[in-house]
Amino acid sequence: MSDSRLFKFPKPQWMNSANSRTGGVYLAGALFSIALFVLIDAATFSKSNLNGSDFHMNFVDWIPGIFSALGMVVINSIDKTRLSADNFSYSGDGVAWKARVVLFMGFAGMAGGLAGSMTVLVLKYVVPEATWPALWFGVSNVITNALVMLSVTSLKIIMAHRQLAEDYKLKLQS
Amino acid sequence: MAGLKTIIVLSFILAIGFLLVILSSALFKNYLTLLVVATYVVAPIPNWLCGKAQGQDDFMDSGTSSVVELGRFMTGFLVVMGVALPAVFAHCDLIRIEAMVMSIIGGLLIYGTIISFTMFFHEQEEF
Repeated sequence: MSDSRLFKFPKPQWMNSANSRTGGVYLAGALFSIALFVLIDAATFSKSNLNGSDFHMNFVDWIPGIFSALGMVVINSIDKTRLSADNFSYSGDGVAWKARVVLFMGFAGMAGGLAGSMTVLVLKYVVPEATWPALWFGVSNVITNALVMLSVTSLKIIMAHRQLAEDYKLKLQS
Repeated sequence: MAGLKTIIVLSFILAIGFLLVILSSALFKNYLTLLVVATYVVAPIPNWLCGKAQGQDDFMDSGTSSVVELGRFMTGFLVVMGVALPAVFAHCDLIRIEAMVMSIIGGLLIYGTIISFTMFFHEQEEF
């Protein structure tokens, strides 16, 4: 591992421990929960009696979040071992290629969700000049999609480290 | 009997937690905060179920540990949900700020009791 390193600075040692991996998964769940409830808060606020403006959340505001969540599901349902093309048993069937296409679609869904949330913020709330309590509907959308992205990043870092640890265990066994 | 003392203290804390949550709903005649109790009671279940699912075939633990991680993900989700739900209610004027504070503290006490109780039993199982 150390001789095939790519970057100048080594990975910190604490990232490899089992505890930090467990914590990372909990962190991903927590981030996703915060993301979902930020969006739900905006939707509830839109319906509550505090919202005196003409702006309301409808289905359009949920579409970016749905895309982000779908992308998250797609990315996390890919088996990481299928991605490496130098895996001899799978290089013949083009499984790595298929896995990359599916993974690309997942990331495209997430990036599209983030971009879409910014589009909704600008087109639906900033351009018609919404003031603060109504502007929160658009801002919460961006926050939600950014948090879903962070949650996926946290999970992906964890998965990569688990893969390394499993390879190491396999090396020790053989 | 250190175990008996622990059980008494834990049940005391659990009772305080339930008291706070029930007060937060009954004082303001708004029973939405009772959802916090449901959330925190459900929170340890995914971890437990997924731990059982992995325990069935731990002959080769490749792939099965992702089930455990799914359980952890859902637990993290539910724990934060227990805090986020009253905050959303309070922000949208469905409950009052005092009810939010009381239900969050009560919910954390209930969840802390459940967690420390399971840890206590795991310690006993090992010996």
